[in-house]
Amino acid sequence: MTLLDVAVKDLRLHARDARFLATLLLFSASVVLILSVAFGPIFREPEGEAAATLWAALFFAGVLGLTRSLDLEGESGGGDAVRLTGADPYAIFLGKTLANFALLATVFALVLPIASIFFDVGDLRTLPTLLGVAALALLGYAAWGTLFAALARGLKARELLLSVLLFPSLVPLWIGAVKCTHSLWASGSIDPVRDWIKVMAVADVLGLALAAFLYELIQEASE
Amino acid sequence: MNEPSATPGWWNAAGRGLWILALALVAGSWWAAAHAPVEVQMGPVQKIVYVHVPSAIVTLIAFGLTFAASIAYLTTRQWRWDAIAAASCELGMVFATVVLITGPLWARSAWNTWWTWEPRLTSFLILWILYAGYHVVRSSLRSVSRRTVSSVLGIVLFVNLPIVWKSVEWWRGSLHPRNVTMTGEMRETLLLSMAAWIVFFAAALMSRLRLEWIREAAAERA
Repeated sequence: MTLLDVAVKDLRLHARDARFLATLLLFSASVVLILSVAFGPIFREPEGEAAATLWAALFFAGVLGLTRSLDLEGESGGGDAVRLTGADPYAIFLGKTLANFALLATVFALVLPIASIFFDVGDLRTLPTLLGVAALALLGYAAWGTLFAALARGLKARELLLSVLLFPSLVPLWIGAVKCTHSLWASGSIDPVRDWIKVMAVADVLGLALAAFLYELIQEASE
Repeated sequence: MNEPSATPGWWNAAGRGLWILALALVAGSWWAAAHAPVEVQMGPVQKIVYVHVPSAIVTLIAFGLTFAASIAYLTTRQWRWDAIAAASCELGMVFATVVLITGPLWARSAWNTWWTWEPRLTSFLILWILYAGYHVVRSSLRSVSRRTVSSVLGIVLFVNLPIVWKSVEWWRGSLHPRNVTMTGEMRETLLLSMAAWIVFFAAALMSRLRLEWIREAAAERA
């Protein structure tokens, strides 16, 4: 079983559960709505407030997505079945990371226009760079999130524990994403905050590299 | 996996010796701090540094030891390494809490605020939350998987230690000094305090490990 097989399997499970996807998207939109009302009606610094709102909505929604992935595996026994195929644990991790990345990217694609409209920020010229920033931030989120979700598998209050462990670990990614998005919308460039791209890249590599050593051990512990 | 047993006699004797040394050093450092020169600008409040800085250093040592012992457990699967990792992490939390309490006391006097979102303060608070999570996760799991999951966490969370250490260099706008420069009596008092807290940590760790040892022996007999 290759990493693509694992990713396709996870995405198929998500696609079958349309009610969950709709709930996830509605939840993200609600966070944007609540924060835009809280900051508005006259925004002091719309670019900064919109960037923080966009990424807060994505990060909160991401935990729901990660928890749901865990539940689906637990309910159907899919996790055990994948392990029984003898697939390389790191390939399973990468497949799951890819599926979680795709899920987060879907939420991003919906939340971005909502935040842009509510806060009246952003333009098409900066969109390609923003997509690059988002890819970097969401890849790191997916990698760390998949690692922590696997750790939290056997726990009772796993949603809460996942948030307690994941959010503080993601702070470099969150600050980097907010600062780059803010800079892009305010000045049309990420040059003033270019260092944060390096920070996010390091966080991505670290998450992927740690999993290469540790994911197999986490799997063993949950058997 | 090695068979657990009651702590050997040399361990208990060494533990008692360390406790006596630690208490003598702590008493000495408090006496030295009380008699150290009063800093001109901040006054007596500056003496918090003799508790704050050593506690921060012991926190980093404790979490560093958790990291090393976690690797050792995953490599050897001997329960003692897991016990060292968990005990060291518990003590690290105590010292980290001292840092978070003494920090705002200093900040109120030096920066005129109890709390500010400054790189080292923020990164240290994140560190505290993460290691608190380590204990919650550990207490939620059963014996064998608990050891493996805790060890993995002990390694993953270590990533934050260099961030805390280097935060004043990596981010602009830090209020913490990059280097603490002290001379004369102040420097000697700070060094004595550091030695006192490190020995105190070692003594407490030995006592905590003894408890873990007895617990394992009891579980083995049951």
